[in-house]
Amino acid sequence: MANTARRPEAWLVVLASIGLGAWSMLALGESELTLPALCSAGTPWGTPPSLPLDLALMLHSPAKLAADWALMVAAMMTPLLVAPLRHVRDRSFVRRRPRATLLFISGYAAVWMIAGVALQAVALAALWAVPAPLPCLGVAAAAASTWQVSPAKQWCLNRCHRQPQLAAFGAAADRDAIVFGLTNGTSCAGACWALMLPMLLVGHAHLWAMIAVTLFVCAERLESPAPLAWRVRGAGKALRIAAAQTRMRLAPQGRLREVLP
Amino acid sequence: MSTTRKNVWELGGDWADPILWYARGVKAMKSRALKEPTAWRFYGAIHGFDQQMWQQVGYLGSTDEMPSRADIKTYWQQCQHGSWYFLPWHRGYLIGFEAIIRDAVVQLGGPAGWALPYWNYFKPNQNQLPPAFASPDWPDGSGDNPLYVPQRYGPDNNGHVYVPMDQVDLNALGDPDFIGAGSGGSQGFGGVNTGFSHGGRVHGGVETQPHDNVHGLVGGGDDQTLGLMSWPDLAGLDPIFWLHHANIDRLWEVWLRIPASTGDPTTANWVKGPASVGQRAFVMPMPGGKSWTYTPGDMGDLSKLGYDYDDVTPPSATPQMVARLQRLGVPQAEAIARSNAMAGPKTADTTADKTAELLGANQQSLSLTGAEARTSVTLDTAVRAKVVTSFAAAAGGGAPDRVFLNLENVRGLNDATVFSVYINVPDGDDPASHPELKAGSIALFGVRKATMTVDQQAGDGLTFVLDITHIIDALHVAGNLNVSQLHVRLVPRNPVPESAQVSIGRISVFRQNH
Repeated sequence: MANTARRPEAWLVVLASIGLGAWSMLALGESELTLPALCSAGTPWGTPPSLPLDLALMLHSPAKLAADWALMVAAMMTPLLVAPLRHVRDRSFVRRRPRATLLFISGYAAVWMIAGVALQAVALAALWAVPAPLPCLGVAAAAASTWQVSPAKQWCLNRCHRQPQLAAFGAAADRDAIVFGLTNGTSCAGACWALMLPMLLVGHAHLWAMIAVTLFVCAERLESPAPLAWRVRGAGKALRIAAAQTRMRLAPQGRLREVLP
Repeated sequence: MSTTRKNVWELGGDWADPILWYARGVKAMKSRALKEPTAWRFYGAIHGFDQQMWQQVGYLGSTDEMPSRADIKTYWQQCQHGSWYFLPWHRGYLIGFEAIIRDAVVQLGGPAGWALPYWNYFKPNQNQLPPAFASPDWPDGSGDNPLYVPQRYGPDNNGHVYVPMDQVDLNALGDPDFIGAGSGGSQGFGGVNTGFSHGGRVHGGVETQPHDNVHGLVGGGDDQTLGLMSWPDLAGLDPIFWLHHANIDRLWEVWLRIPASTGDPTTANWVKGPASVGQRAFVMPMPGGKSWTYTPGDMGDLSKLGYDYDDVTPPSATPQMVARLQRLGVPQAEAIARSNAMAGPKTADTTADKTAELLGANQQSLSLTGAEARTSVTLDTAVRAKVVTSFAAAAGGGAPDRVFLNLENVRGLNDATVFSVYINVPDGDDPASHPELKAGSIALFGVRKATMTVDQQAGDGLTFVLDITHIIDALHVAGNLNVSQLHVRLVPRNPVPESAQVSIGRISVFRQNH
């Protein structure tokens, strides 16, 4: 039987290390109550409900919010970078691969940082305007559910699978790597923003919510592109894998000899 | 006892008994309602279905009752393209179809051992459409021959259907590996590793040639006048489809008999198929209301399935690697010995140790309109030096690089588009007079859906890979590989209208370490 087991490629090891490192920092941070600042402080579990917005921002500086958000993105999104980065690297000269990888990630991360500002602002504003936690979380969950079944979500998911042509030489190659990072990041943020928002509002369950959302977005990214439609969509493939494995063990498939006339 | 599939041109006449019985079986299937799983149109929809296109060609009417949602979900739109499942899925599709035709033949009093013929257009004087398929009449002169379809326009779009031999080749048989890399190097004989793939991006070797080209050349037409064979969603409706695919299936058997071929994949994902990872199963309706679920692993041994072909002789030409090593200065005896040594173990999935690396690319996307398009691929000096070094080392025992031209992100609206690709044809020369500079011919089977974001497509188009090692070898031997650019010419079989919107996102060249 084949020897398809290859040594893991170095860039994958680096990517995995970044992701695991981010998760470790978040996990360790939880015990010291240094989770992404908004999440640990901006909810009824960690913050007085009547905390004014300016005070909340004073307690959690934009730099702190940005750093924590970057950590979250690094932890949650690194698995989603494997497919587009493989495309970038495959289609680039070997000597340009590190540069193209960094440029792609820069574009991708830039989008997510901007999205982070918007999402955290919405979350802070929501918590400030509606001190009661459950209505806030409920509205966010309803928004996430609506977005999840919408054609717009599918449009974003489809675009997450895009593998555009990339220039090979010089400034054009740099430009294409950044633009691919920006467009992929935009598609990714479009597909995931509604899942991130309630996650920002769940307080001390934040780490578990992060793990759940990460598993969910990775699983739904396994699905193939599909026509735009209102439809329930989610992590069905992971469930189908389990179901298929069980079914194959319980019911052997029909043999050709048994069905031929 | 084995059922033997035979050459349609060598059955003993234009309307030899097996063809006549095939026509009667097709007629029986065509008489069934769309919703019946053993109906002609139902089986065609298993390959692909597009409501608007079916209505356009008259295969779906307002009074047709659609099958149940469950049947559609289980059976329809299954065909595997741009995938390492291309060969095994189509083998099962053939077996299911053949069982249904045979069942109809037996019910009509025909032979229980009836087998589907194959059309080997490569054999001398056998590239014309078999006459029984070209006539609107039965042999007695009465009309309504079910093997005839008017939407078969041929390579010149005039209804004369044949396979022009300068548009097809068997180069895929020379690829020792079943699985392709999908990263710019060889696409493999059988295709690249995918999940369930109803329209993948990178077509495998035998899928690209001759499969795709025969589809486009036989079907012909354009995006308004639809030739059935030219479109994945219509192809299964043409009775010649099945003889074409029997030939592709036969070529799989031929490939397995070539000494350098490394055999079918043995990795679990291929053997157990997409159902094992939670995707759709390969399943065919069978006679008597039964269904048959199969895996690629079930398809690997044709004899165990009870089938064989009357001719699976590999081409007698010198094995590609032997010829190549000789070109690069290795004596014949040593070339043979080294070629055999390179063949590797027969059961290995040997792509694991092969890596591809970008060698050059053109600067911007290319529109293919009219009678020709040209571009230049700029080569990277450092990577080109690696290729030269590997060539030079071949005489001393090293494995020379292989070189591949990639047509990336090919988009368009007309699946019937067929064109040839040439490298470094001198200005003013007719490319057709330089077969030695031909990289290959390509047909855009499935390009429209790959261009639009529908079904499983992200809209990136298709990517085709052509082995241009022989051209690079020749440049090297002539001392002309020290160039900064390769000049590429795309020559359509028929002029491409602007409305077809055919474009190639990037044309690139990759080296692969043997």
